[in-house]
Amino acid sequence: MVVTERRVWQRAEALRRLGGDEELLRELCQIFLEESPKLLQKLRQAVVDGDPEAVLQAAHCLKGELSYLGAGSALQAARQLVVMGHKKDLSQAMETLATLERELANVHCAMKDSAGMLR
Amino acid sequence: MNAPTEFPVTSGCKAKPSRLDSVLIAEDDPIFHRVLQSQLQKWGYQVVAVKDGLDAWNALQQQNAPPMAILDWMMPGLDGIDLCRRIRSSKPGPYRYLLLLTAKDDKKDVVAGLEAGADDYLTKPFDMDELHARVRAGKRILELQDALIRAHEALQFESAHDWLTGLWNRGAIMDFLHREVRRSVRSHESLGVIMADVDHFKKINDSYGHLAGDAVLHEVAHRLVESVRSYDYVGRYGGEEFLIVVVDCAVSDLVAIAERVRLGIAERPIDTGVGQIRASLSVGLASAQAGSPDSLDPEELVRAADAALYSAKAKGRNRVESAPVVRAAGQGGV
Repeated sequence: MVVTERRVWQRAEALRRLGGDEELLRELCQIFLEESPKLLQKLRQAVVDGDPEAVLQAAHCLKGELSYLGAGSALQAARQLVVMGHKKDLSQAMETLATLERELANVHCAMKDSAGMLR
Repeated sequence: MNAPTEFPVTSGCKAKPSRLDSVLIAEDDPIFHRVLQSQLQKWGYQVVAVKDGLDAWNALQQQNAPPMAILDWMMPGLDGIDLCRRIRSSKPGPYRYLLLLTAKDDKKDVVAGLEAGADDYLTKPFDMDELHARVRAGKRILELQDALIRAHEALQFESAHDWLTGLWNRGAIMDFLHREVRRSVRSHESLGVIMADVDHFKKINDSYGHLAGDAVLHEVAHRLVESVRSYDYVGRYGGEEFLIVVVDCAVSDLVAIAERVRLGIAERPIDTGVGQIRASLSVGLASAQAGSPDSLDPEELVRAADAALYSAKAKGRNRVESAPVVRAAGQGGV
């Protein structure tokens, strides 16, 4: 699978934010690879339960991390879920969640690729 | 208690932070937690890192808690805003610099954060440069505060101490006397007062000059402190007159201390810039014994010691005289 890094994950932007600290970026990616599946699981449970407050919480966390790490497309989906949580309207949540899961998988892929984990 | 360099017992600011470059981080998100911790450590800060608001609150109650805290807005337990409010409404102590971290960039939220007591805020995603600049700005404020606290403490020290001898000044020694009188009455302990005056001090000044006179007073003060017990109080009462408050002490011990005080000056000359000067003390003592009635007048103790001092002068100086044991008015007394 070829990942177009620029859209999925703007690594350079994340690196700039960290003041060029490659090692820290690698560490953060590692944390993200371990932690984001847990957040996603929480989010899925919240959507299934129809709990807008819990959706807001989990989506908010993901949004912050994605925005910090410069993962644009996944960020957009997380943002939409935050808005849904705010408005307490989860009618479109399952669809958006599916998009988020897909985009997140791409981000994971791109991170692993950059770390040489796919080679 | 009588060491000239010590701060007055009344000095405030108990929960003084140990170092200005320690920072508390309260952030539940693992990514931001790591980013903050890693960067601040890289910049040389000592980091205390917690993952929720309650842990942050508890960490800030510790004796040497960091003076600066970076708080995430959204946290389990207690969120950043509530934490700011709680910190600001807690008991007075050294100022805490609070930096609120938020993903919200709506102006209203920023205002709410600042009104809750935050000093500054930082919007996620933040650049390292911005984080660093804001932390430095906070540190500047804390350094200013630290300088003010030090100046305040120095003033407090000066206001209670005699500039020449470093002893307690008259106001401070009288405060201690009043306090010890109340305590001795309450706990039925005896209390002694020693009044000591440098003999012929005017003559010393006239013959050797005022600088030499000052040197004599300085050395006398030093020897007085060495002659009494570490928990007694030594103060400069007037020009060449010293007042010593001797706590929980039997009459015989009090006489022995007074004799030690006298001998401390008389036994060896004092080195000054113009050579050695022989000096001596006339000493008067008064004591209130354990079991004295309820109200004991501190001024009366001082008057009695002063009268004994004048009697020592009249009897030829360089000697100790005792006043009759003071028994205070009350319970059908006088």
